[in-house]
Amino acid sequence: MKGLLLKDLYMMKKYCKSYLLITVLFIALSFASNENLFFVFYPCLLCGMIPVNLLGYDERSRWLQYSETMPYTKGQIVSGKYWIGLGTQVAVLLVTGFAQAIRMNISGAFALRKYLVLMMLLLVMSLLASSITLPFMFKLGVEKGRMAYYIMIGIVCAGSIIASNLLSGGIQAEIKLNGILPIICLVGIGIYVLSWYLSIVFYKKREI
Amino acid sequence: MNALEIKNVSKSFSGFCLDNVSLTLPSGCIMGLIGENGAGKSTTIKLILDMLHKDSGSITILGNENGKNISLIKEDIGVVMDEVGIPECLTAKQVGKVMKHTFRNWNEAEYTRLLQKLSLPDNKPFKDFSRGMKMKLGITVAMSHGAKLLLLDEPTNGLDPVVRDEVIEMFYEFTRDENHSILISSHIVSDLERLCDYVAFLHKGKLLLCEEKDVLLSEYGIIHCTVEQLSELDKNMIKYRKNTPYGAEVIVPRKNAPNGFKLSPISIEELFVFMVKEAR
Repeated sequence: MKGLLLKDLYMMKKYCKSYLLITVLFIALSFASNENLFFVFYPCLLCGMIPVNLLGYDERSRWLQYSETMPYTKGQIVSGKYWIGLGTQVAVLLVTGFAQAIRMNISGAFALRKYLVLMMLLLVMSLLASSITLPFMFKLGVEKGRMAYYIMIGIVCAGSIIASNLLSGGIQAEIKLNGILPIICLVGIGIYVLSWYLSIVFYKKREI
Repeated sequence: MNALEIKNVSKSFSGFCLDNVSLTLPSGCIMGLIGENGAGKSTTIKLILDMLHKDSGSITILGNENGKNISLIKEDIGVVMDEVGIPECLTAKQVGKVMKHTFRNWNEAEYTRLLQKLSLPDNKPFKDFSRGMKMKLGITVAMSHGAKLLLLDEPTNGLDPVVRDEVIEMFYEFTRDENHSILISSHIVSDLERLCDYVAFLHKGKLLLCEEKDVLLSEYGIIHCTVEQLSELDKNMIKYRKNTPYGAEVIVPRKNAPNGFKLSPISIEELFVFMVKEAR
């Protein structure tokens, strides 16, 4: 497994520099536009797609086939991508979270509850990005699985609009959100775990 | 112990079927899997590695059934596929580090030695390698983790004659250890003829023959004759025949060779071509 992760890290170093740049740029833009959550969500969504893109490179170079000649199980090959996804999402979440805390403090609008709500939504959004896409990619291959990518973009865009409305809504919305937010968070994590499991099941059946 | 035992293995796809293939590779030997494109060579290798799930039959690798603990068994197998699947951005040095964390018995010194022997640069991205260099890196990885069995799918394809010679020498060197074996597939029969102890002919998913190379060469001979001379030959004696612009060529068992005809030695390539044409 360590070999798989190291290989992905080398690939990220080569292919994912632009993600870092976009994250920094969007954080800067989020400072300029006070309440526009698009600039907050977008880097998380984008980095959630890193494992999907790595899988695309793997398929193109025929690494998936090659790795099956090595002492890895199919489960390990799938899990490598989910660990990489988790790692990058947590890293981006921490960076974005830190930046948003500063932004809220500068604007004098820092409220712990609102901040935690934002963080939880960010976590769920970023987990959803790869959760929805990866099982399709592992089952159908990257080319055919792209449809799932477009569906996911639609869902996340709709999600960010709803989240934006909820966060900028009145007290009534906040009260409702307080109740369901932990559930949304648990569902997000649950979907990620389910997606991981499904990807292993699909990939075990796939012959490449 | 046999390095590899394949018994009655079948696998069907739409439009292709590997049909009831059985072959045995004894330890310390090299077997050549010969067949045209699409004959089932790569399918056979993928079935051995459990990359494809067989419909029926059994496969034993180094004494272990391939369905059980295949990832453990793969520690002892070096594989080169027809396309080496190393990511394009990785350098040979990075590949070495990845493999160090992949194989328990990774031998870094051996890897470095082979890179130098094959003149492979360690800091150039894989995408900038020529096809020959890519193949050489694949072979270097396969031979650097103490494998006991090499499964090579068209490893000499795309290599120039000098490099092919170097690579074949490496395979010879590998099998000096009697615990080491190689199953190598190719349609470049001349390479396999030089290298192999055993040959297996595959044609359209069927195993036409699996035999010791020297036995085949000593058992059969070829007669070049005119059509008139052909009619004088006992038909039961003719194993395979082919018409040529100058008459006919027939393969006959040496022990039953007819008097009055010049019997020439046969090559594995000739035998393969005759058998495939007959099978068509």
